Amino acid sequence: MIVEIGHYALALALGVSVIQALVPLWGLSRQDRALAAVGTSAALIGFALVALSFAALVASYVRSDFSVANVFENSHSAQPLLYKFTSVWGNHEGSLLLWVLILTLFGALVALSHRSLPPRLRAGALAAQGLVAAAFLAFTLFTSNPFRRLSPAPAEGQDLNPILQDLGLAIHPPLLYIGYVGFSMTYAFAVAALIDGRIDAMWARAVRPWTLLAWTFLTLGIAMGSYWAYYELGWGGWWFWDPVENASFMPWLAGTALIHSTVVMEKRDALKVWTILLAILTFSLSLLGTFVVRSGVLTSVHSFATDPARGLFILLILVFFVGGSLALFAWRAPLLRQGGLFAPVSRESALVVNNIFLATACATVFVGTLYPLALEMLTGDKISVGAPFFNATFVPVVVPLLLLLPIGQSLAWKRGDLLGAAQRNAAAFAIAAVAALALIAFTRGGPVLAPLGVGLGLFLVLGAGFDLAERVVARASGWPAMLSRARGLPRSAWGTALAHAGIGLSIIGIAAAAWSSEAIAVLKPGERLTAGRYTVVLESVLPRTGPNFRAEVARFQLFSGDRELAPLEASKRVYTARAMPTTEAGIHTDWLSQAYVSLGEGQDGGLAVRLYDKPLILLIWIGAIVMAFGGALSLTDRRFRLAAPRRAAPAAAAQPAE
Amino acid sequence: MTAAQTTRQWPAKRRMTRKQRRLSMIAAAGAVLALAAGLVLFAMRDSIVFFYGPTEIAEKGVAPGTRMRLGGLVETGSVQRGPGQRVAFAVTDGRSTVKVSYDGLLPDLFREGQGVVTEGIFEGAGRFKADSVLAKHDETYMPREVADTLKKQGHWQGEAGAAAPAKP
Amino acid sequence: MMIWAVFAAMTGAAIFALLWPLSRVSLQGFADTADARSLYRSQLGEIDRDVARGLIAAEEADAARVEAGRRLLRAAGDEVSPAGETEPSLRRRRASSALMLSLVPLLALLVYGSYGSPDAPDQPLAARLAKAGAQQDFAVIFARMEAHLAAHPADARGWTLIAPIYLRQGRYDDAANAFASALRHGRASAELWSGLGEARTLAAEGVVTAAAREAFSDALKLDPRNPQARYYLALAQEQDGDTQGAAGSLKRLLADTPPDAPWAAPVRDRLARLEGAAGGEAIAALPEAERQQAIRGMVEGLAGRLEAGGGTLAEWTRLIRARAVLGQKEEARQAVKTARERLAGDASALAAIEALAHELALKEAAP
Repeated sequence: MIVEIGHYALALALGVSVIQALVPLWGLSRQDRALAAVGTSAALIGFALVALSFAALVASYVRSDFSVANVFENSHSAQPLLYKFTSVWGNHEGSLLLWVLILTLFGALVALSHRSLPPRLRAGALAAQGLVAAAFLAFTLFTSNPFRRLSPAPAEGQDLNPILQDLGLAIHPPLLYIGYVGFSMTYAFAVAALIDGRIDAMWARAVRPWTLLAWTFLTLGIAMGSYWAYYELGWGGWWFWDPVENASFMPWLAGTALIHSTVVMEKRDALKVWTILLAILTFSLSLLGTFVVRSGVLTSVHSFATDPARGLFILLILVFFVGGSLALFAWRAPLLRQGGLFAPVSRESALVVNNIFLATACATVFVGTLYPLALEMLTGDKISVGAPFFNATFVPVVVPLLLLLPIGQSLAWKRGDLLGAAQRNAAAFAIAAVAALALIAFTRGGPVLAPLGVGLGLFLVLGAGFDLAERVVARASGWPAMLSRARGLPRSAWGTALAHAGIGLSIIGIAAAAWSSEAIAVLKPGERLTAGRYTVVLESVLPRTGPNFRAEVARFQLFSGDRELAPLEASKRVYTARAMPTTEAGIHTDWLSQAYVSLGEGQDGGLAVRLYDKPLILLIWIGAIVMAFGGALSLTDRRFRLAAPRRAAPAAAAQPAE
Repeated sequence: MTAAQTTRQWPAKRRMTRKQRRLSMIAAAGAVLALAAGLVLFAMRDSIVFFYGPTEIAEKGVAPGTRMRLGGLVETGSVQRGPGQRVAFAVTDGRSTVKVSYDGLLPDLFREGQGVVTEGIFEGAGRFKADSVLAKHDETYMPREVADTLKKQGHWQGEAGAAAPAKP
Repeated sequence: MMIWAVFAAMTGAAIFALLWPLSRVSLQGFADTADARSLYRSQLGEIDRDVARGLIAAEEADAARVEAGRRLLRAAGDEVSPAGETEPSLRRRRASSALMLSLVPLLALLVYGSYGSPDAPDQPLAARLAKAGAQQDFAVIFARMEAHLAAHPADARGWTLIAPIYLRQGRYDDAANAFASALRHGRASAELWSGLGEARTLAAEGVVTAAAREAFSDALKLDPRNPQARYYLALAQEQDGDTQGAAGSLKRLLADTPPDAPWAAPVRDRLARLEGAAGGEAIAALPEAERQQAIRGMVEGLAGRLEAGGGTLAEWTRLIRARAVLGQKEEARQAVKTARERLAGDASALAAIEALAHELALKEAAP
């Protein structure tokens, strides 16, 4: 009965979300607060119903109820409990239900934050959000119903795709979805502002926390997905410019631009129209990402669901929400009042430059992702666009942006002093340049771009640090004064500095990848293989039986030079239910670097072994985590925590202009 | 808001009308976009790889030395392992066959009779030197181009079994 | 019936919660301009503080103040006059209540009605396994065994029991693993070794591989008379091209075999074929097209015989496999169907047929 209750709750949630979309809109147009308030309770009810439905599906998975087709197709009774749980969203239907759950959760949070949001904005946003929820509930129920039943129930499930039986899966999709879906909230706010024809700094202040939240989770989600691909796929690669990765990267780029433009809007009441457009585009890119992943239109090493009927449905959703909101934008945007002015050299201009570069970078990724599809439709030619394309387009656009970042960060609002800002960053630049030159000299004959990249990353880290230090040290004398200044800096200032430093760390990690080395050989027990600084000795190969797989485990001893580091295990698993092999890489973390061993086919009594030396590779993900931490820190800024200005007024006492 | 209001706020020497500012902003955006467009066009010429099936190579007369992707089924019984990691196999779509040589680890799911996509240099005369080999990701997934090619050659019986998931 | 009561309660609760805000008398319009005003006021305060700290110059501060003041004035101008409790507002509420009362249950029932299965009970695996033993279907017992072994991988007895079942189901790799696990964790026996060898042989599609040979010789070390091992080793000789030796080994095996032993017939068959050197080799020698013809002929013969009645699991398995290999999907499906009817009395045989159909992807267009 639990299963059917979950199914019915989902159907009921569809009805409720339709009400959530219709009634508050009517209330808005008639200035009727009671009708608008229906949106609040509908959002809460909708979330409760979807949560009930999700709980029912989770219960079916945990109890291995194979009378539910979705459970039968994606789980196995021998799975460890954790993977039974994560199997829920390790498949198309379940992950959509998770998507809707997070969507309605955001709706409920907006409904509850009645003190921090102007009521008209909240009502409009909830209506827009209800419409999105209704569309996705319909998509789930009509084309991807997770509660389809089987009769008679099979005795055993077909197991989850082995690649997904990993802790990474437990974390990656929910993080990514919170990011994607969080941008639906800024989208809803933008649509509400357009409907209302009014937008001001209040809007920016209301929207910023949601944008930051979404961005923070999207950052973590992308980083997690990248690390997961790195250790699970066994190729040692961490970013493939695969369409599915690009699908999550494009909203990230647009969302990063959005965070910066809402700052301008909140502080200076400028860039309104652009910010609204960006909010719409960011969520449109999230929807596009969903379309790309769900419909299987693109060639990809990923293979989620490939079903044309679903593809058509999601394409309709995409066209409706993107087209509808852009039409609304074209119609209503001219009504929005122009905002404040600023000089060509100012923090505002710097942020505009940031937006121009980020939007352009996003456009290059967009072209690289969708061009093959367009070309095939037009000419029938099939092409693949890979890393060389993005290295030649995305990188040249992003590098100038990163070079300008520390300077823009230290410009003043409204009218800045370019020379002064440049001087303030001279020290950071000099240190970074010297470091890069020293590296070039030290690694003579090695790749030249790598030291330059490390220099750039260092410049970003130092620039962020110096900027922060200057705010604390300048015009303050003595430790107590500095300490109190440090404490007085708004958390968003710390967050900004951390996020920018995080980018720097990631850049260093990415640049250092050029120094990685790899070696492949067929090894017999006792033989050794060396790559870069590391050597492995194959000790033994043993069979092992897991709960739902059999494995051939190779034991290695890892050496760095003559120093014995650690024993290392890599394995090839065969999951019995699907008879599908996977590679489990053996990874040893050595400070920030990693030694990475993966296995190939056995032959001639030996085992094909691939060994990588990946210097500083961990910095890529550490940088992303630092970025996300910066976002989270900004999020806890007092202004957002008690976002109602009435309440924020006393707390704002400690804020200098950012 | 008018230019007159602007005048009131700003000292004369820094005066710049909204229109001018907007124009300069648009010019900056235009410059960056033009640069990006140039880069994209340049990259399109050099770093884009076409995908062909074995029959298409023969029909379209692909020039030797072209970098491309080749997809099809690994012909049963064609896999020969050489010394070290060297391996040779044939990719077929049922009508034509291309011999592929490759030096490296094969993916987990590389099997005879299964779909495969390889990237490398076409050497002419039905020979192909691959520098990367991608196998299909699981039992039911088939790279889209491979499926299309096989469909064209009438070797495709539809996808059996449930759609299987991978990374979202 | 119970479930419909639950659905009704859920629907009622949802609609009640939706109607709740309408029942509260709230006459205010939207008055968020007050919020906007206080935001700009706090911005003015920030400017003053920044000037006090020397973060911005006085000239800039003046401009900023003017700007914030202008925005404040504009926000005040946006004030909307609140709508009162009027006749139209009551009518609106009635209309939207009607909408909720009709649309929500209608949509929910329509959607659930077309996709739901209200009569299907939950069937968690634990409950199904716990059900009384007698009429339990074989598949469930089997699932329980697998679950047990997953939890206790060192249970040699369990592996010994499950290995032959895997073998019969055609899951040769699993069978080999089960035999090997039984040997690893328990006492070795000739039967286990020869089972391992058989599983390895079948997994290699009938080729007695080096690994299989090793297993068979281990079996013979424990029991030199083990017929299975001797048979397969003879097969190995034959595959090596040593037909004479193979025939000799089989003859010796036959001499030690009581005439009514179950394996006597296949050994005799094999021997007859070896000595006659007819059958297999003759077919192999035919040109490709004719060979296909001959194989098809044999399959048709087998099909005809089985169609007429009876047939063991092994024979049905052979027929289904042959059909599948020859690409005769329809016929193979037909054979699966007939086999199911014929073997209806034997639960384990049925399971083996199902497993085979699954392996060969012969399931009827199920998703």
